[in-house]
Amino acid sequence: MFDLEALRRFGANVEDGLNTCVNNEEFYLKMVRKAVADASFDRLEKAVEGKDLDEAFEAAHALKGALGNLAITPILEPVVEMTEHLRGREDMDYGPYLKTILDKKKELEEIVNADV
Amino acid sequence: MKEFGYSGKNRRRVLIVDDEEINRLILGRMIAEKYDPEYAENGEKALELLQDPSKRYSLILLDLWMPVMDGFDLLGRIRSDEELSNIPVIVMTSEKAAEARSIKLGADDFISKPYRSPEVIKARCDRIIQLYENRKILRSAEKDTLTGLYTREFFNEYIIQIDTFDSQMDMDALVLNIEHFHMVNEMYGRSMGDKVLGCVGEILRELFGDSVFIACRPDADYFYMYISHRDDYDTVFARFNSELSAVTDIPVIRYRVGIYEHVEKSNTIEERIDHAKLACDGVRGDYTKPISFYSKELHEVDLYHERLVHDIDEAIFNRDLIVYYQPKYDITGDTPRLRSAEALIRWKHPELGMISPGDFIPLFENNGLIQKLDHYVWAEAALQVRKWKVRHGISIPVSVNVSRVDIYDPDLKNRLSSIVKENKLTTDELMLEITESAYADDAKALIEVVEQLRGMGFKIEMDDFGSGYSSLNMITTIPIDVLKMDMKFIRNMNRDEKSLKMVELVIDIAKFLKVPVVAEGVEDASQVETLKGMGCDVIQGYYFSKPVMPQEFEEFIIEEVRRRKKAEKK
Repeated sequence: MFDLEALRRFGANVEDGLNTCVNNEEFYLKMVRKAVADASFDRLEKAVEGKDLDEAFEAAHALKGALGNLAITPILEPVVEMTEHLRGREDMDYGPYLKTILDKKKELEEIVNADV
Repeated sequence: MKEFGYSGKNRRRVLIVDDEEINRLILGRMIAEKYDPEYAENGEKALELLQDPSKRYSLILLDLWMPVMDGFDLLGRIRSDEELSNIPVIVMTSEKAAEARSIKLGADDFISKPYRSPEVIKARCDRIIQLYENRKILRSAEKDTLTGLYTREFFNEYIIQIDTFDSQMDMDALVLNIEHFHMVNEMYGRSMGDKVLGCVGEILRELFGDSVFIACRPDADYFYMYISHRDDYDTVFARFNSELSAVTDIPVIRYRVGIYEHVEKSNTIEERIDHAKLACDGVRGDYTKPISFYSKELHEVDLYHERLVHDIDEAIFNRDLIVYYQPKYDITGDTPRLRSAEALIRWKHPELGMISPGDFIPLFENNGLIQKLDHYVWAEAALQVRKWKVRHGISIPVSVNVSRVDIYDPDLKNRLSSIVKENKLTTDELMLEITESAYADDAKALIEVVEQLRGMGFKIEMDDFGSGYSSLNMITTIPIDVLKMDMKFIRNMNRDEKSLKMVELVIDIAKFLKVPVVAEGVEDASQVETLKGMGCDVIQGYYFSKPVMPQEFEEFIIEEVRRRKKAEKK
């Protein structure tokens, strides 16, 4: 069942996320559902594949903001690191970052959809 | 006072601009308790909403990194737009570098990402909205809508700022007045009047654009200015003149300017303006010289006048105002006969000594206080006529002055009538002198009042006849009983052909009107002879006597009683 406890087990900083969502549990969970469906994940994946660093930065930056507010730490941490590399448009292999991010996102997706 | 942020149905609208929906919704949820959030996912969409005239936003919460149009771009556009720049902007960012850039572009505050303290965010939104709304109220109170100049309160505030932050700056205070502005309103209509005032504001701003310049319109047709010192006011105001006429299409708009140069900073703002105003009012009516500068002498005269105005009530109460009497002699027969007297006021000030009527009469004529003086003289003179009558058995009528301001007093007839009654006199024993300048003011009113007074039995003397510009026109329309010719002509008649001709002319006019003519200011026997030869009826002047105290005047009465008795015996 998708609830605060499940999010906590996943590694999210539920207290912070809930606080940002004015302590409204229902609203917080709704926002987390939205986060896993966020189009920026796709944008980031495509941009990295196409080596479009500008686009990749924008997508990573957008994800950073949303995940940061919701305090979904396991995905937020690699996104933050990746964003900083992308900010300098560093020519590096972003594949491992992307993989961690997408794996964690998939994991969260399963948690979110557990009760569906 | 309503609590800020709650205004019933019309809640304030806040625009949240962020490309990330989750962030938009979270912020929206945070502020929804107090405000109506609206959303835009990039700068372009935000601009569309902001330009919708049906919507008014109280705050913009702006993300910086967005596709299509980013936050920096939008912020720049907002701050360069006159309307939109009145909306506060709070930038949401997690980067220090972006903070500096956005504050340069005009951001008002920052919210750090992630949004961990909803209470702080809400409080910051409240504070910035309140700040802007207060500023807007202040700004709307700052300017006079007609002229675009400051209101009086803000004018003072900005002078204080200059005093505080630029205390060494050499400043001038100016007061400008549009003369007879009510005539512009009457002749061209109110909207033209407003246009003129608006143009004055605009032209002044333009002419003094190269100076430190603060101006306001404290009321109606007065403008106050505070300007960094300059030496070219003559040139500047010549330009003011031509530009004002050109813009308004009114050929001549008369104005006057008083300038207090190099203001003394130890003076209060009020005093600085008062000095300029004093200089301005000093040039009233002098169309050849619209600019006047304040000086110490001007100030001393002003202080002296203030003192006189201040002391007048006490002077009346303490009887420091003394009525003197100058005899008027009928010279139509072989021996001059005392016919009447003129009441003339003297002020014996306990500290300033004798004050010349020339110092206080024009002053009181200007400020209306002359009415008090007139009332005092009427009562004193009537009482004196009665005393003489009782004591010597003959009536010596006394002429008193009726000033312009008295003419318009609805109580004039009652007052004169009761003074006469109280002293058991007849109305022809108190003669009323009016000057022809009253005619120039409002001929119709003057004629009406004069007719009523004559109807009551009062005799009207036209004083200073020939000195004004309306003499001939007036004399045919206004009913009078005596003509007093201007003493200038008498004074010059034996050495100046023109004056002599004028005297002749006035005497002829009096004959034509079948009224006696009085010559004032007659000083020597040759003048008496000339006047007598011309057919002048009555003479007043030093030849017979200077104005004297009532006790001294009694000698003339005793002499007249003696003469009459003698004549009777014959």
